[in-house]
Amino acid sequence: MKKIHPIDLNQPRELSFVQILHGTVKGRCRYKVQGLFHANKLKRYLEFHLSVHKDVNSVRANLVTSNILVHFHPSKQAIEIATLLNQLVRDYHQNPQSAIKQLPQRNGSSVASSGCWHLKEIETILSELNTSKETGLSNSAVQANLREYGINAIAETEPRSGLSIFIDYFKSVPVALLSGAALLSVLTGGIADAIVIMGVVGINAILGYATESHSERIINSLKNFVNPSAWVIRDGQLREIETKDLVLGDILLLQPGCYVPADARLIEAERLTLDESALTGESLPVSKQHITLEPNHNKGAVPLAERRNMVYRGTFATGGQGRGVVVATGNLTEMGQIQALVGETKNPSTPMERQLEQAGGQLVWISTAVCGLVFTLGLLRGYGLLEMVKTSISLAVAAVPEGLPTVATTTFALGILNMRRQKVLVRRLEAIEALGSVQVICLDKTGTLTSNRMSVLKLCWDGRDVDLTDGCFWSENHEINPYQCDELLKLIHISALCNDSQVNYHPNGTYVIDGSSTENALMEMAIAAGVDVKELNSKYPRLVTHHRSENHNLMATIHQIHESASLIAVKGNPSEVLDHCSTRMLKGQLVALSETDKQGIKEQNERMAGQALRVLGVAYGQGETSDVNSVTLSHLIWVGLVAMADPIRPGVKQTIRNFHQAGINTMMITGDQSPTAYAIAKSLNLSQEEPLKILDSTELTDLSPEVLSGLCERVHVFSRISPAHKLQIVQALQQRGFVVAMTGDGINDTPALKAAEVGIAMGHTGTDVAREVADVVLQDDNLETMIIAVSQGRTIYNNIRKSVHFLLSTNLSEIMVMLLANTGGLGQPLNAMQLLWLNLVTDIFPGLALALEAPEPDVLRVPPRSPDEPIIKSSDFQRILLESTSLSASALTAYGYGIWRYGISPHASTIAFMSLVSGQLLHALSCRSSRPLRSHRLPSNPYLTTALGGSFALQWISLAVPGLRNLLHVTPINATDGLVIGSSAILPLLINEGTKP
Amino acid sequence: MKKDFMFISESVTPGHPDKLCDQISDAIVDRFLRQDPYSRVVTECAVATAIVFIAARFESDTVVDFPKIARQVIKQVGYEQPSFSAKTCSIVTSLQENSSTNHRHFDERQLSDEEIESIPVKNQATVFGFACQQTPVLMPLPIWLAHQLAKKLTQVREDQSLPYLTPDGKTQVGIEYQDRLPHRLQSITITASQHPSSVTDSPNFQQFQRDIREGVIEAVFADDSLPVKPDNHTQIFINPDGPLFIGGPAVHSGLTGRKNAIDTYGEYSRHSGAALSGKDPTRIDRIGAYAARYAAKNIVAAGLADECEVQLSYSIGIARPISIQVQTFGTGKISDASLTEILEKHFEFRLAGIIRQFNLRFLPDFIKGGFYKKLASYGHVGRTDLGLIPWEETDKIPLLQSFVAPK
Repeated sequence: MKKIHPIDLNQPRELSFVQILHGTVKGRCRYKVQGLFHANKLKRYLEFHLSVHKDVNSVRANLVTSNILVHFHPSKQAIEIATLLNQLVRDYHQNPQSAIKQLPQRNGSSVASSGCWHLKEIETILSELNTSKETGLSNSAVQANLREYGINAIAETEPRSGLSIFIDYFKSVPVALLSGAALLSVLTGGIADAIVIMGVVGINAILGYATESHSERIINSLKNFVNPSAWVIRDGQLREIETKDLVLGDILLLQPGCYVPADARLIEAERLTLDESALTGESLPVSKQHITLEPNHNKGAVPLAERRNMVYRGTFATGGQGRGVVVATGNLTEMGQIQALVGETKNPSTPMERQLEQAGGQLVWISTAVCGLVFTLGLLRGYGLLEMVKTSISLAVAAVPEGLPTVATTTFALGILNMRRQKVLVRRLEAIEALGSVQVICLDKTGTLTSNRMSVLKLCWDGRDVDLTDGCFWSENHEINPYQCDELLKLIHISALCNDSQVNYHPNGTYVIDGSSTENALMEMAIAAGVDVKELNSKYPRLVTHHRSENHNLMATIHQIHESASLIAVKGNPSEVLDHCSTRMLKGQLVALSETDKQGIKEQNERMAGQALRVLGVAYGQGETSDVNSVTLSHLIWVGLVAMADPIRPGVKQTIRNFHQAGINTMMITGDQSPTAYAIAKSLNLSQEEPLKILDSTELTDLSPEVLSGLCERVHVFSRISPAHKLQIVQALQQRGFVVAMTGDGINDTPALKAAEVGIAMGHTGTDVAREVADVVLQDDNLETMIIAVSQGRTIYNNIRKSVHFLLSTNLSEIMVMLLANTGGLGQPLNAMQLLWLNLVTDIFPGLALALEAPEPDVLRVPPRSPDEPIIKSSDFQRILLESTSLSASALTAYGYGIWRYGISPHASTIAFMSLVSGQLLHALSCRSSRPLRSHRLPSNPYLTTALGGSFALQWISLAVPGLRNLLHVTPINATDGLVIGSSAILPLLINEGTKP
Repeated sequence: MKKDFMFISESVTPGHPDKLCDQISDAIVDRFLRQDPYSRVVTECAVATAIVFIAARFESDTVVDFPKIARQVIKQVGYEQPSFSAKTCSIVTSLQENSSTNHRHFDERQLSDEEIESIPVKNQATVFGFACQQTPVLMPLPIWLAHQLAKKLTQVREDQSLPYLTPDGKTQVGIEYQDRLPHRLQSITITASQHPSSVTDSPNFQQFQRDIREGVIEAVFADDSLPVKPDNHTQIFINPDGPLFIGGPAVHSGLTGRKNAIDTYGEYSRHSGAALSGKDPTRIDRIGAYAARYAAKNIVAAGLADECEVQLSYSIGIARPISIQVQTFGTGKISDASLTEILEKHFEFRLAGIIRQFNLRFLPDFIKGGFYKKLASYGHVGRTDLGLIPWEETDKIPLLQSFVAPK
């Protein structure tokens, strides 16, 4: 990542208008120009005069940031250009009118500032960038460009540095208060107290720094996980490189689904269309061409959206293909400039964090008020002013739940790490929260539920059918050799001829089939039958191909048999193929194809479709070679049917069951026909024993949104849906108030992935674009990991709740103890040092440890939480109040015992202190679950054990070590005291456990 | 019994949404039976705006492509308008597959009499069959005429003589009876739907009414054998509420089994409330009605009565009806009680027996374009246009006449 550091290079005084911003790279510098803001004329003036200067390669001024970027001859110094720039600005200001007049009328060749690539001829650009259409850049040129322009990455907004996190901590209100208290101590001679207070501040700062910087690092890394690659031509070879290695002059290949990684001028475009919505907001794909645009004299510069021969970073190809030469990378791309405009983007905060922040803010006011009350009460009771100041400040520090949002951030960060280990990449912070509340998951059939690998299972002809298993053909338990069965062989031959899959044999005998899954399956069948595909194709060379089209659901190829005769091989939708047939083979004889025959074949097709098989009809015909281009597909000879299946992925059944168990509804979305969809949905039990509901529609747009959302609520399967309609499904579900997760991997899926609360993309299959917009990427392409993600999402949410619950109830108990004791005139049960100790020992570590709780065993057996539920419900507040009351009552009782035995004295307050600390620590156990601990077994949480053990140990050390004892003003205790403390610590735990719902 | 009265029956075209649903339901039954004659299936269908809802419970060796069948029917019926078309409508199917049981696999043709006796009905049902001398097909005149008009209305659309019509239409015929015999044509009402004037060269309303009157009403009554004809006082209403544009599901919704009167006798006789369409032949509420019509028709055809209503009541667990009632409205040559006795002895009313006698499982396989689907428009009874309908056969005439001949 590049960072933009303001660097001050001994600026000479005379540079009154220009400031050097960034000048570390040789031959390139960014300047800030005074008065450039929204001054278009000045911009044009500067761009013109600089670009005609012999040392300047390119200039680009920005009217919004008032920055100007100059690329110049590396031998020159940034400061020299700055002087030149300064001179120009001064000249301009002296006489703007005449300066403008000097400007020539714009025309392409003379002043096309380097930004106007769209106006230049391709050849000019290629030579300017020292590259070539055919061979691309040489390796050395790549290295040189890389050095010159840096990597192709947009400078991210600088993450908060560790130091700034550390310093920020000291800016907070509690710290200011504490520092005030320390100062007071120093003034009144309590040096030791001051040291302790500042020690607490320091420790808190270090802890805060450690957790926060760690979390920030993790959260910042979310953006960088998808690292798309780009295809370029370098050294005359096609190469796949990481997009960050792209440099100016690279010849970039564009194909559907790929992100444009840098700005490029097209040099070739074949029906290329791009989605430029990221840049222009235009949602319809834009078609692109490689022609040079004419400068438009009337309207000024050609707007970005109309530069049809340019492709820009951040957009993506939706169709066709093309080649372009990279003309801008990294920050120089249009996208990079926009990003720079937007400037600092804040780290996203999730709704939950905002809620916590809000709750925390309210509690700050409440506790401040209580502290004020304690202070006033103390004064009225006649306690020392200084003492009361320190005590109430410490109480404020101990009681203010300043760490609430931090708990959330930390828990999120750890959750992200945890999921990453399980091969779930979370790409957006909000997604974690949404993961925990997902109510409906929409699943693509192909690729997600099924393996997207077809294989031929059945062949039917002339009333016979043959099963293909393990590469052998079986007919009624007899294996048959296709070479002894003419019809079968014909069926296989035609399937292999009318087939675009490529079979690549390796020298070692293995082969790879490359093509669509359907055609691959046919090829595999042919190879299994022992057909030499290569030989077959050379024996009957293909002359013409008629591809399948929208309205034409079959494919036909015409092959040469000998000089005058040709063979027409046809495969496709059985009914459509059948419509073109007039005869069939019956025991080697051609007979007419009757209506009854057709009906029978159609029914057989339907029966197989009902078993989730994809069925193709195969036919052939004979013709002349002379008129191959005008051949009509009629009077073909019917051969038979081939049935294929795309098997359900192993483990998917269980995964679906797991979703259902977790109260998540599953919906399947498929382009398949209803029977196929039905068969799959039935075997996956998508409907959970209810009648299975399928919505079969190609035109969801015809339905009114209310009707659609009403239907979506009930439907289990959408069949014959085109990916473009997924967005409507998501929106319809959301309209019903559901939190929706949606899988997708194609370009057409991106709007739906964006719209869904949790867009899920697969790590291997699927397009870059889908991964880019997805919230969650399943690295191993396995739906099972989605269950883990849901469980993690729910656990994270629960853990934050537990942690918050603990922090609030313990803080509240501290306030209560102090308030009640002061109201009752019982002296100060806890002094300032003890309160700070409480804050340090009992709050932070157990709180963090609770955030690390393992998933509760039934986390996937309860329904998802309602998305409207606030993280702290009013019932939670009641619980918190009850729990802190029992904690404080118990501590006060212990304090009462101390007063009874020892009077209002440090000894009594020691008992109160020990009792409250122990009680709070034990309370952490109770906070592990919202249900009584005895009712179910929780997995162990070693962090909590350690935190509690360590805290208890520290507590005993404070009592045992004389030095510490003095600092905390505690006195040694005897066995009876110990017993009182012990029981007053355990009692609240028992009460709180007993009153749990 | 009242002898002079007015009676109005109505019929609808196959494009009427209720009938469309009936046809989709029965087309599904047809397809199931063709692929597995032992399929059990109950299908209901509803249609509104651009949505078709199909709910089916079935038990079969096979699964049919419900949406495809529905789209075929919609296309056949002729809905091609953008507001509702076979291609673009959305189809929701709710499918409940009952686990396949072996006892459904019985071929009645192979069963012995005891075995047939041992196959009980599964519903309580009362069904009716009726026949009368008012028309050659032994149907009441009002419904028969209404069907003729509806058929003609469809025909003029399909043969392009009135190309601006859309598939939805309704016909009503009012007949004045004297002495329980049709005396005079009192009224004719036809509601036909048309393309909006913007789409095709739809005529103005006056021309439209003229076209319907000439092309439909006059064409139907050109047949001289009809017992009644429009006279000067016959009221003729053509789209009394003004032009109906588009019509069909885009305008009003439809449901399977809501046109039971049109399926049977136009309310002239009693009919069961249960739908006939969308049920496989093992449902007695469907095939019982066929058996009752067969009995009634043969009685009238044999001349044993001019008018006859047969009522069969079935109870769960018993193969035969627990009650058979015959009512001849005083036209019987022999007493209703003796007729009942004859029916009990000589007519097959057992569930499996009816299936066997009418070959109900295998008819869809023989008849091109489906058997039950064709019944679903223009009535399940009194059909002569479909070739052989087993319950319209009058092969019991000799048997029945043998009971009166000796006298």
